[in-house]
Amino acid sequence: MKKKGLRAVKTQLDCGLTVAVLVAFLTVLGASTPAVALADDAVTIGIIMPTTGREAKPGQYQKEGVELAIKQLNDQGGIFVKEKGKKLPVKEVFYDNGSDSAKAASLVERAMSSDHVTAVIGGYSTALGEAESVMPDRYQTPWITAGAAATSIFSKGYKYTFGALSPIKLLGTTTAEFLGSLVDQGKLKKGLKVALVVENTDHGVDYVNGIQEWIGKHPGYFTVVLNEKFELGGTDFSGLLQKVKTAKADIFLSDAHLQDYITMQRQYLQAGLRHQVISYGARGPEADARKALGAGTDYILAALWWSDKLPYPQVQKFVTDYKQMYGRGPDSWYAATAYDAMRILAQAIEAAGSTNGSKIRDALAKAELKKALIPGEVLKFGPNGQADYPFLITQNKPGDKVDIVYPKDAATGPAVAPIP
Amino acid sequence: MTASDYLDLLIKALLLAGIYAAMAVGMTVIYGVMKIVNLAHAGFLMLGAYFAFELFQRFNIDPVLGAVLALPAFFLFGMGVHWLLIRWLPKSDTPTLSSLLLMFGFWLVLQNVGYLIWGNEESSILMPRTFAAIHVGDISVPKVSLIVFAAAVASLIVLQITFNRSWFGRSMRALIQNPYAAQIVGVDDLKTSRLSFGLGTAFAGFAGALLSMLYSFNPDFGRPFLLRSFVIIVLGGLESVSGVALGALILALLEVFSINIPIPWYWHGWRAFYLPASYQPVISFALLVLVLLVMPRGLAGLLQRKRRVA
Repeated sequence: MKKKGLRAVKTQLDCGLTVAVLVAFLTVLGASTPAVALADDAVTIGIIMPTTGREAKPGQYQKEGVELAIKQLNDQGGIFVKEKGKKLPVKEVFYDNGSDSAKAASLVERAMSSDHVTAVIGGYSTALGEAESVMPDRYQTPWITAGAAATSIFSKGYKYTFGALSPIKLLGTTTAEFLGSLVDQGKLKKGLKVALVVENTDHGVDYVNGIQEWIGKHPGYFTVVLNEKFELGGTDFSGLLQKVKTAKADIFLSDAHLQDYITMQRQYLQAGLRHQVISYGARGPEADARKALGAGTDYILAALWWSDKLPYPQVQKFVTDYKQMYGRGPDSWYAATAYDAMRILAQAIEAAGSTNGSKIRDALAKAELKKALIPGEVLKFGPNGQADYPFLITQNKPGDKVDIVYPKDAATGPAVAPIP
Repeated sequence: MTASDYLDLLIKALLLAGIYAAMAVGMTVIYGVMKIVNLAHAGFLMLGAYFAFELFQRFNIDPVLGAVLALPAFFLFGMGVHWLLIRWLPKSDTPTLSSLLLMFGFWLVLQNVGYLIWGNEESSILMPRTFAAIHVGDISVPKVSLIVFAAAVASLIVLQITFNRSWFGRSMRALIQNPYAAQIVGVDDLKTSRLSFGLGTAFAGFAGALLSMLYSFNPDFGRPFLLRSFVIIVLGGLESVSGVALGALILALLEVFSINIPIPWYWHGWRAFYLPASYQPVISFALLVLVLLVMPRGLAGLLQRKRRVA
């Protein structure tokens, strides 16, 4: 009898425990997905970024960029919406996708369907952006990514999908073009061998296509001797780096996200590898990488969408405002493109004179943000929804210095090649 | 590839096996005694990394010493977790849903606590030895990987001795073999479980502290190691320390060599095919499925059976 009673208590405890764990789990999930009470007298913008997980740091920077733009808009009274006859404040609804593609897609769906946001800014990184990009057309709500640029997102004929980053393929082409210019300057020899080691995503595929396209059009400059892909979030690249070593390449070009860049470069240095040029695509000057690798990041080249070294007055103002708001300067390009994405969205809402998704979409397609932060100072979207502006090449130098080394007219210092 | 390249690969695989063994051994102890698949293992690894990081940042304590200090600290932490959560779980010979849910939930809690304390920054420990390597001809052996390898071997030996020579180890083995018979002969089930969970957590913290020398980390750290740890203990035979060493070695050899060794295939003549590096994670999954199908008791079970037949 007593045993039975004890067993019953135990079963209750088990059930209670399971329920408690489930509740805790759902609470943790719920913490990143706030319930939204929509105000009719505000423009509600959904921000869907990773602030936890693998992509947490760049995601946070992008969130900060959008929030700075929102603050500045609200300081001026908000966005003028003609159909309301007044300026409406901008209200941010933030969702953390935890660097998880499935969660990212479902959060975009939730923002657009249940929370009825006016528009969404999200999609850092390519893998998460791809997952999110299927939702905007379904709910006829504009979506701008300031952190995903793979061609696959913008080649599907979506109408409500916009990208504030130039295509990755151009990133690859610009990198190859820059290396070609080093050959023309006599800094590198003609006919050098290139090892390509890229992440196994559309980002990586586009990067390789860009490099190979340039090499194909300029015979004699470089030969690709290794073309390998690796899985995102890898922990051991020793086998892959052995392949690089065996290939006996002169130039090491990788395309990696921040965590993989840090892990791979660490193992690269430990393996005692050396090349005349090293690049990790759009990664290079990040503070976390320099903290983790110290002088191990010196002379790494990066092809970026933005740099705080750009000589435009609006760039210097942005850097000052950002420092004032967050107590530190912007790290690499992440915050700047997100800031411009929010600004062009605000401009489109004002031009549409409405918070209606279709009208904003049409306005976005025609929008042209002047005095933008990006190279060329003008942000606009092409017929496929993606922006197309030139890249910058930066190089890390000793003493935590970063110089723009290409194009020539924006250069703040000479390119050091081969790496000493 | 030259003979020197193959030797280089072999050394890299051995060093990787050391890393894998270090991270998996704590999981084996907990599974062996309590039949709990410790999904919070990744959280313990993460806390171990931050433990070494904080000691290094605040008191300039070498992460190797930090790893040693992590052993008693995480042993007590593990005992506390057992007292607070684990002891309420129903006893079972097989993993239960409630234990899986509990450990998964606890991992999420640890992660979020990590985000509250350390934010989402990539933390790392940068020391003069971080990039130091021993060069022998064309081959370079990273010093930090050597340290992790030595620590992994040492921890496996200590654990094996504990298993074989101590009263506590004998109690653990008795519980692993037959929990009911063990209790009949006087093994204190609760006490042994508590100590085992403490020991498993201690080794997880130890491994995390060692891994902090090899990787940058954030509160999400440990996730990619979880599957590999699981593959290793399934391959090694869920309850065996020597099995962990063997499992880690096999996985590391497969991962490193599979993408560097040409596979011959015939298509209008013989050709050499190299497995793309992006297929490396597939190896873990494929191995897990294969082992579960062909030898569900792992290599240790297979060896035991052969010994009995002989």
